[in-house]
Formats: sequence, structure tokens, C-alpha cells
Amino acid sequence: MIRSIDVSAVLHQAVRATYADLVTRATGRAVREHIEQAYAAAPAPVTRMDFGGVRCIDYSCADEIVAKLLRERIHVLVLRGCSEAHLEALTPVLEGHGLAVILERADGTLDGLGRRESAMALLDELVQAQLAARTAGGAVALVEA
Amino acid sequence: MTRLVDVPAQFDDRSFDQFAASYSRARAEGGRLLFDAHAVEWGSPYGLVGLLAAGHAARAAGGEPPLLTVPKSPEVLSYWGRAGFFLAARELFEIHGAQPRAKPAADSDVLLPVTAVRAAEDVHEVVGHIQQRATAILSSELGIDPKATMGFAMALSEACQNIVEHAGTGGWVAVQSYQWRRRLARRVVVIAVADAGVGFQASLAPTHGRRYGDRWNDATALEAALIQGVSRFRDPGRGQGLKGIRNYVSRWDGKLTIRSGTARIAIVPTWDDDVPLTEGLPPFPGSQVLLIVPEQKARH
Repeated sequence: MIRSIDVSAVLHQAVRATYADLVTRATGRAVREHIEQAYAAAPAPVTRMDFGGVRCIDYSCADEIVAKLLRERIHVLVLRGCSEAHLEALTPVLEGHGLAVILERADGTLDGLGRRESAMALLDELVQAQLAARTAGGAVALVEA
Repeated sequence: MTRLVDVPAQFDDRSFDQFAASYSRARAEGGRLLFDAHAVEWGSPYGLVGLLAAGHAARAAGGEPPLLTVPKSPEVLSYWGRAGFFLAARELFEIHGAQPRAKPAADSDVLLPVTAVRAAEDVHEVVGHIQQRATAILSSELGIDPKATMGFAMALSEACQNIVEHAGTGGWVAVQSYQWRRRLARRVVVIAVADAGVGFQASLAPTHGRRYGDRWNDATALEAALIQGVSRFRDPGRGQGLKGIRNYVSRWDGKLTIRSGTARIAIVPTWDDDVPLTEGLPPFPGSQVLLIVPEQKARH
């Protein structure tokens, strides 16, 4: 089972309805705590976080939300809706911590982000759990649309 | 007794130490400070936010508010008004001389007028403003690589957060584009952030000073923060902000300087002749950060 989180919606609920940017550690903390509460109520083996509505992420939020969730709560994290700008913050934060997530690209295929070996292991884990499958072209995509 | 603080005619990061020396001498002598800017011919964003930091420190010392004599040049006066300087200065100084009455204009060179930063909400405002106004200007008018604009808001956010997270008081930020005449001869975008807070040495001393022993000073504190990525917080994820700024600046051939107390550290690009670390500077309260991103293609 894959639990989906709309990060922009959480930002609006947890912090301010008019905010479009994930910046400052205080905002990151508020968003993370909101996600943790929801996750605790209904944990799932895989969590997908959609950043599609988020304009800018800074390093502090990338660390406070994604890195901390991975270190303390969530084992398999799939990120979707990430722009190149988002990856500017997410990549160094993940690599700095030796963490990894799965990146779901616009075409639905999956790739690793962060520590390469860990990311590949996560992809294998998804395939073995039948939550993802290899396509005819050799790529990996989630089974659940 | 009134003590004079000279504001240099060319007031930017190069002359800031001269300003700091004048400020330091005046403070040591005691009395009410008079910041004399009447002869200023050019004030960079760094100079403007630094002047506000000095005013803030003088005001915080108690007694009568510091005095400020405005630039006599109408062009300089107009620019300081458009840059939003006087809106902030009125809260700190007793200002002598005519001030522009108009609000900061939507000037394409002033990407962000002087803006106070005290809390996370202010950082959101600043980043939101830049995202709306400046991204298109950065890439289309200034030739900044579109990929470089992506990290610009991030770098700005992290620079401002240093005030919120560490200064212990408020500060100011300003973002502007202008022609960099020294060596580079290209347009640049500049982020200037200043506060008159506790400074890097005092901020990091409780958690990191002991292992340096007698070597702990402003310079070692700046090195620890910018090069080693240490933070006063024990959380393993801390210290990312300055590292992120450093990586961004290096990637786009930019420059980063951080001045705190009696030292200044710099990530120096090939187009500049600054030095990586300077110690023994005239003391100045708090921290002052300067980020410069050059136009990515040469104009002929």
C-alpha cells in the first residue's frame, strides 16, 4: 500500500494557506510534524510525497522534512512532482546524510536520489514487494497509478 | 557629546572596514553617535544594510537615538529612497536632511528593497517577493543562467535564516543588480544581509569554542561555520545553509563573504582579488553577508 501526501496542501494546513515556498526551518518543522501525525494514524510501507504545488524548497526544509522523516519515521519514500529547483536542495541534503529516496519522474518511471546504493536497494525492495515493476524498456514504475 | 562616524564616499564592502573603524572609535569614546553620510557618492546594498546594523547597535546601547546626516547628492538620495533605506532608517536614526517621500519604486535594479528580517514569516515574504519579481529579470535582463536562478531563492532564504536562527536580534536584507566595475566589468546580482546580533564567535562558542582553546576567535568561528559546516545546534542536519550557499556561489562563479567581529571569510572567484580570510579588522557587531552572482555571459 502506498500512502500519498500532497506537501503543498500540508504547508497550507500546517503553516499558512497563502505560502507556496518550503523555506525556513520553522516551516519545515511544522510541515514534518503534521505529516508525522498523519503517518502515525495510518502508517504504510511506502509513502509518496508530491511536491507539485511547491515553488521553492530551501536546504533547511529539505533537511527538516525529508531527511528527518527518513531518519526517524519513514523507510521508503517516493518523491513526485520534483522540479530541478527542488532537487537543488534535496540532492545535497540526502547525499550529505547518506540517505536515499525514490524519485518518480513525470513519465512515471522511478529513479534513485541520494546515496546510490541505498536508492537501488529501495527500488529492488519495491519490485520484490510488487509495489513496482520493471517495464518492457527496463525502467521501473509503481504498480499503483 | 556627539561622536562622528564617517560614512565613506564609496560605501561598499571594500570600504566597510574603514566605516567599521570609525564606528568602533566613536563607540569607544562614548556619547551620541552621528553617522555622517553627506559626502556619500555611492552606497551598495551591503553598505546600506551595514549602516542599518550600526544604527541598530548604537540604538540598542541606550540613550538618545543615533543621528544620521543624509547624502547631499540628489542622485544618491534618490537611490537610497528607491532602495528602501529610509523606511528602515527612520526606526533607528534621528535623520537630518531632506528625505525622499515616495515609497520604493518598482525599479528593475532594486530586486528587493531593504527589508527587515526578524522571523520566519519575513523570510517567506522575502522569498515570495523574489520569486514573483526577480526570477524573470535575473534570466532575461541580466543573462543569469536560468538554472542559476533556481538556487538564488534558496541562497537568499538561507542567508536570511542566519538572522532568524542565530543573530538573537533582527537584521536586514537587500537584493540589487548593478554593473560591477572592478575587473569583472559585468552586471551582477547582489544579496546583502546584515545584523548587529551576537556574531559567529559568540554563537558557536558554547558548543565549539572549547576544542579550539586559545585559538577560538572570530576567524576560527567563521572557518568552522563556513568551511567545516558546524552549527551551534547538535542536530546532525544543521549547518547545511551556509554550505548550500557556498556550493551555489561556487557553482555559478560567484563570491561569498561573511564578516563577523574582527574577521572576514570569503569564497573568492577568479574575477576577484579578495583574500580567503582576513583577521584583525576593526570590530563591528553581528554578521554581514554578501553574495554576488555575476551575469553568466559576457557583454561586449
